[in-house]
Amino acid sequence: MTNNNNKLDSIAPQVIQAKPQTKHIASALALASCGLFVANGHATELAKNADDWKVDAALMYYGEQDRVQAIEAIGTAQKNFGDDSVLDLKLVVDSLTGASASGAVAQSDSQTFTRPSGNGQYKVAAGETPLDDTFHDTRVQGSANWSQASDWKVNGGVYGSKEFDYMSMGVNAGLERGFNKDNTTLFLGTSYSFDVVDPVGGRPVALSSMAIRDNFTTDEAYRAAFDATRQTSSDDKQTVDLMLGITQILNQRWLLQANYGLSSVSGYLTDPYKVLSVVDNNGTTEDIVYENRPDSRLKHSFYVMTKGALDSGVVDFSYRYSTDDWDLTSHTLETHYRYYFSGSFYGQLHLRYYQQSAVNFYQPFLLADTQLPEFASADYRIGDMSAYTIGVKFGHRLSGGHEMTYRLEYYQQDPKNNGTTIPGELQNYDLFPTQKAITAQFSYSF
Amino acid sequence: MPAVSPNAPYRLVRRDWGFLGEFRAMASPCELLIASHDEDIAYDMLDMAAREARRIEQKYSRFIEGNYLWRLNHADGKRQSIDEETWQLLAFAKQCFELSGGLFDISACPLMQVWRFTQDAKMPVKADIEAARALVGFACIEFNSQELLMPQGMQLDVGGIAKEYAVDRVAYELAESYAGISVLVNFGGDIACPVANAVPWQVGIEDPHQLDHAAKVLAITQGALATSGDTRRFIEVEGRRYGHIVDPRTGYPVNGAPRSVTVLGPNCVTAGMLATMAMLQGEQAEDFLAEQSVQFSIFR
Repeated sequence: MTNNNNKLDSIAPQVIQAKPQTKHIASALALASCGLFVANGHATELAKNADDWKVDAALMYYGEQDRVQAIEAIGTAQKNFGDDSVLDLKLVVDSLTGASASGAVAQSDSQTFTRPSGNGQYKVAAGETPLDDTFHDTRVQGSANWSQASDWKVNGGVYGSKEFDYMSMGVNAGLERGFNKDNTTLFLGTSYSFDVVDPVGGRPVALSSMAIRDNFTTDEAYRAAFDATRQTSSDDKQTVDLMLGITQILNQRWLLQANYGLSSVSGYLTDPYKVLSVVDNNGTTEDIVYENRPDSRLKHSFYVMTKGALDSGVVDFSYRYSTDDWDLTSHTLETHYRYYFSGSFYGQLHLRYYQQSAVNFYQPFLLADTQLPEFASADYRIGDMSAYTIGVKFGHRLSGGHEMTYRLEYYQQDPKNNGTTIPGELQNYDLFPTQKAITAQFSYSF
Repeated sequence: MPAVSPNAPYRLVRRDWGFLGEFRAMASPCELLIASHDEDIAYDMLDMAAREARRIEQKYSRFIEGNYLWRLNHADGKRQSIDEETWQLLAFAKQCFELSGGLFDISACPLMQVWRFTQDAKMPVKADIEAARALVGFACIEFNSQELLMPQGMQLDVGGIAKEYAVDRVAYELAESYAGISVLVNFGGDIACPVANAVPWQVGIEDPHQLDHAAKVLAITQGALATSGDTRRFIEVEGRRYGHIVDPRTGYPVNGAPRSVTVLGPNCVTAGMLATMAMLQGEQAEDFLAEQSVQFSIFR
């Protein structure tokens, strides 16, 4: 007992001494610290840039091996009004040069073709796939889109483009609504466009024979024959698109999107510069005729896409199925995988596979001893084919929110025979040549 | 368009709850946990945080020759004009000095320099300690909102509050600019969560006996956390451990100070100061904090 008392006596005063007025230090400190965060005079100007224009500039090169080359300058600007309304503007200027396949077949002798204008002709060497080398044009295209979000998100836009022989104008509108705490979004979109086709030298008369100067003795006789293959007035084309879509958030990382699209086109759908060779049983060309396509087309497309956020990347997979009343059916498989090497640098891999079956009036050539069909085209773009794309893209984010991206893609298209028997000498030539192209793009946003 | 800032080694990593931003400042790894999936916003927040942390470091680091603090410390007894921010910091330091009964003193730098807390360091001799003590004493410093007058030879070291101050300033700016986005600011273990998060942030508290292992996990929805400790800096002389917490009144390291003290407070400077003061209380650290009605965690 005494021991214990002694201990208490000797320790007690020390403990009391070591304790100054400490009771309200926490609240006093909290109060004192307030002064540190009120004075905001020295705060650096770190702007929220909600009200700024966001501008993107890009330069793109597209080059097909020995054929079309295109340079495209793209400028987009986005203005965020801060009240959930956004204005998007886009301007594209592109310049196209080079040749594209005319639809005629290669021959063992050189071939002469009349230029679309009727003024002059060009020769294609023996064994070569005939290309129309007069193909160069400059196109200017602009669009403006405005969207406003509240319970319903609405958007509307206008579009216009002009090139030498073609003009297009369009309007579009969309409506979007979230349900189920915004885990489900429904989308309805529609657009209408009106195009005017005014080909160089006029529109060819459907399936008329190409007049060639060498077959006439006088210029007058040739000109009269050429004019007989032409309709002078321009023609138009109208397109109505309708799209219905749903986006569903599956979990914290994945979402699923599905669309159905309906597209109805009517008017002049023929390519005025494409022709077909009329060959005999030996495969020798007897005549060249201008192609002709039906004046209406109804397309359906179904699209499903899933997108996921990974630990340091984003991945998506999509599939599109499309079919129309020209019997063209296509399947597209596509994936993008983006990996963030750091917060400001990413690399992206792009893979795409595409396969289509030919339209019902596609023919690589016509046979001389059969009756001319109502519709015919040898345009490889609507024939049987498969294609794939491999691309890489790198994006680099600079301080201050600027961003640079570089993209390089390789595209290869492999047209196939749709089952046509190839007669005589045509067997010596590749009527379905593989097409290779490179796309390179550099863009900068600020 | 925002101005171009000097290119900084930021790192922004996508996580399932948002973004993790990382950079280095104040000799510490700094991170931002951002509960937003908008990359532009996350990047802007990270950019703001890194700029503000570096601004404070540039201005108040004791190790940058010629900076703002260096000029104040080399005034040779002359009157210096000071800015608003420095005045607020000095006023806060004065409160801390007074509330702690002189235990916390931002003029204690000369004393700290006498004590070297490296593995092979020796106990300083008494004469050196006394010489240093003569240059320490916040009470000798005169200042008002415009000017500072410090006796020749005295020096200020705001290292004891600068990191916590930076955490709070960054947290404050982020909360002002992005009021709706929950963010956790962590500069080398000093933490603030200015905007309440629906899902609490899980913060691990390091076990000083097993460094880099979380001994406890604390769930924070809003508030700040700061740690003071001698876990990594001490010397042992004749079997006795001298921690890096020096009592400016005696000139010697505090007896019986805990290995580390972590305090949860309304903001990081308050939490940090309470943790430092608790350390300075030595054996009474627990009692001291228990009286403050704050949540804390002490390792001995």
